[in-house]
Amino acid sequence: MDEQLVIEHLSKVYERGEVLALNDVSFTVKKGEFLVVIGLSGSGKSTLLRCINRLIEPTAGKVFFEGVDVTAASSRELLRIRRKMGMIFQQFNLVKRSSVLTNVLAGRLGYVNPWLSVIHKFPREDIELAFKNLDRVAIRDQAYKRADELSGGQQQRVGIARALMQEPDLLMADEPVSALDPATSHSVMKYLEQMNQEDGVTVITSLHFLSLARRYGTRILALKDGEIVFEGLPSEIDEARFKEIYGDEAEHVEVS
Amino acid sequence: MATKQSTLRSVKRLNRFGALKTRFGAFFVDWALWGYVAYEIVYLLNRYWYTEIHFYGRLTVPAWGWPIVIIGTLELAAISHAFANSIGLSLFGLTVLSQDYKYPTGIQRLRRYLWWHVSLLSLPITLFSSDRKNKLLHDRMSDTGMFRIKDVKDEMPVTTPHAWYKTYRGMTGILLIALTIWVGWLVTQISLSALIDRAPKTAYMWKALVTPDFTHMFALDPELAVNANPDLPASIFAGLLQSLFMALLATALGGVVAFPLSFLGARNMMGYSPMGWVVYWLMRGFFNIVRSIESLLWGIVFAIWVGFGPFAGVLALSVHTIAALGKLYSEQVEGIDPGPLEAIRAAGGNRLQVILYGVIPQIVPSFLAFTLYRWDINLRMATVISLVGGGGIGRLLFYYKGQVGRLDNAWNQVAAVIAVIVVVVWFLDYLSGRVREKIN
Repeated sequence: MDEQLVIEHLSKVYERGEVLALNDVSFTVKKGEFLVVIGLSGSGKSTLLRCINRLIEPTAGKVFFEGVDVTAASSRELLRIRRKMGMIFQQFNLVKRSSVLTNVLAGRLGYVNPWLSVIHKFPREDIELAFKNLDRVAIRDQAYKRADELSGGQQQRVGIARALMQEPDLLMADEPVSALDPATSHSVMKYLEQMNQEDGVTVITSLHFLSLARRYGTRILALKDGEIVFEGLPSEIDEARFKEIYGDEAEHVEVS
Repeated sequence: MATKQSTLRSVKRLNRFGALKTRFGAFFVDWALWGYVAYEIVYLLNRYWYTEIHFYGRLTVPAWGWPIVIIGTLELAAISHAFANSIGLSLFGLTVLSQDYKYPTGIQRLRRYLWWHVSLLSLPITLFSSDRKNKLLHDRMSDTGMFRIKDVKDEMPVTTPHAWYKTYRGMTGILLIALTIWVGWLVTQISLSALIDRAPKTAYMWKALVTPDFTHMFALDPELAVNANPDLPASIFAGLLQSLFMALLATALGGVVAFPLSFLGARNMMGYSPMGWVVYWLMRGFFNIVRSIESLLWGIVFAIWVGFGPFAGVLALSVHTIAALGKLYSEQVEGIDPGPLEAIRAAGGNRLQVILYGVIPQIVPSFLAFTLYRWDINLRMATVISLVGGGGIGRLLFYYKGQVGRLDNAWNQVAAVIAVIVVVVWFLDYLSGRVREKIN
């Protein structure tokens, strides 16, 4: 099965028909791709990602993940599908008062016995896995600290470790580095690249900066006002395309 | 450019339906204020008629007087609307300007006031007329209009502001406050002479209150212990213990019940389905109604239900605690960061797991702080709940108070009870304040 994710005619309308966030979006993602979604703020990037795992309910259209129709899945099936799709967020979305370890283990909730999770009981293997993943993102020594004691870059690495706990086939990242400084951005992006290349996890990430998209993406998808305006290789984005995506008044901003 | 500006202005003019709602609101406020003034004038007339002129009779408003009062206050409201920036208008942020954004001339204001009467009569026609550009009659006939101040701020004429007490608003404000204090003074029967003349008579009480008698601090008062029921406190210490336990149990029970209920009363937890709305509003209504009934009133209810004693007190405090904490808790739940919830849902967590791993860790500190605060309140209530038969240290307080005149040292014993309450409440207040500081 080559095409891991198939999106067909996806649309999302907000607030009783007033805002059209996604307008008839169709594309496919192959296994092992590193797809970067670019576009201005409000172009529908976040909505698109959240419609894939139905954190936001799409208004119309279909999403197939590994041949399964996500949009038609019952709520029980949806939980099974979601645990194969890791997600990391712009604002990290960690529980600030909980320990790093608890935050990472929360990524495993889709797998564990729900009744044991009530008493915060996780299997020994899961705890070992959590430490292994913390090791991978090089913050094992922070495991027992409170999440909000960590720096922004470290918090996003906790987010990555949490997503790794899902042993995902697909990793979605919603602007994973926009809250971080340039140097930290690259370290976080490199972890995503590493997962993509070493574990073969498909990555879909939305990014603000074209330079980052060019550096890490194997393919780029550009959204404007909820519609796809470009789909292709990073090298194909020239000055004209750039203006088309970001508008005439846009200037290049480099993240080095 | 000129056309652009004029369209801008026509947009700024209040659209008719929105305007009517706001204008009714402003007018109603003024009418109500003049009605209040009328009530006070009638009250004062009546009062001085009764006390000074005709002791055996009251002034009554005859049947034909009521229409006069109603029409008179309506007219006053209309006048204050047309000729000044009345309190109603300022409250709703409205102002009357001529169509070229100047303050209306006296003639315009007079026309506005006179045409208002016709406008009022033709209001039903205006309401249902399909011509949306059609303004209210008195607007049109006086070539003035009502505007939102925030819309026309830039175009309003600049004038040197008067001192606040020279403005219409200031003067009506002073009038209202003066009348309210005057009438209120009479209604609440404030009597400075009683306060001063009878002060010497209380000397013995004050003397007793500063020399508390701790005889029955630990030793049982034989008169109270007469039926040997260990659950009816017969010493100050026993009463205090009972009050402490009542407060503890009521807080624990109330907190345990309020905890799950608070999720039902939190908007972000209930979703936006019709069922969610119903449960949310029911819960909110329950919290607000039950909370607005004081613990002492609940004490009466439960004293009748389960009989006099500490149990009734605990129930009364618990019920009030459920509502009060439920409301505070649910506001905390509504204020949480939704991000972590999203992350746990994305990882395939179910609803329960979202609450356990996403919501609860975020709300624990504020819940604890509120619970401690409530314990404070409950302890204070538990000292007086026996006024309505709820048990606790209040039993002694009201018992000794009742013995004034029979026992020589009754006030001294009352003083002892009060002293103990003050010390304990103060100490726990301090303690819970310190603990609340530590949380977070």
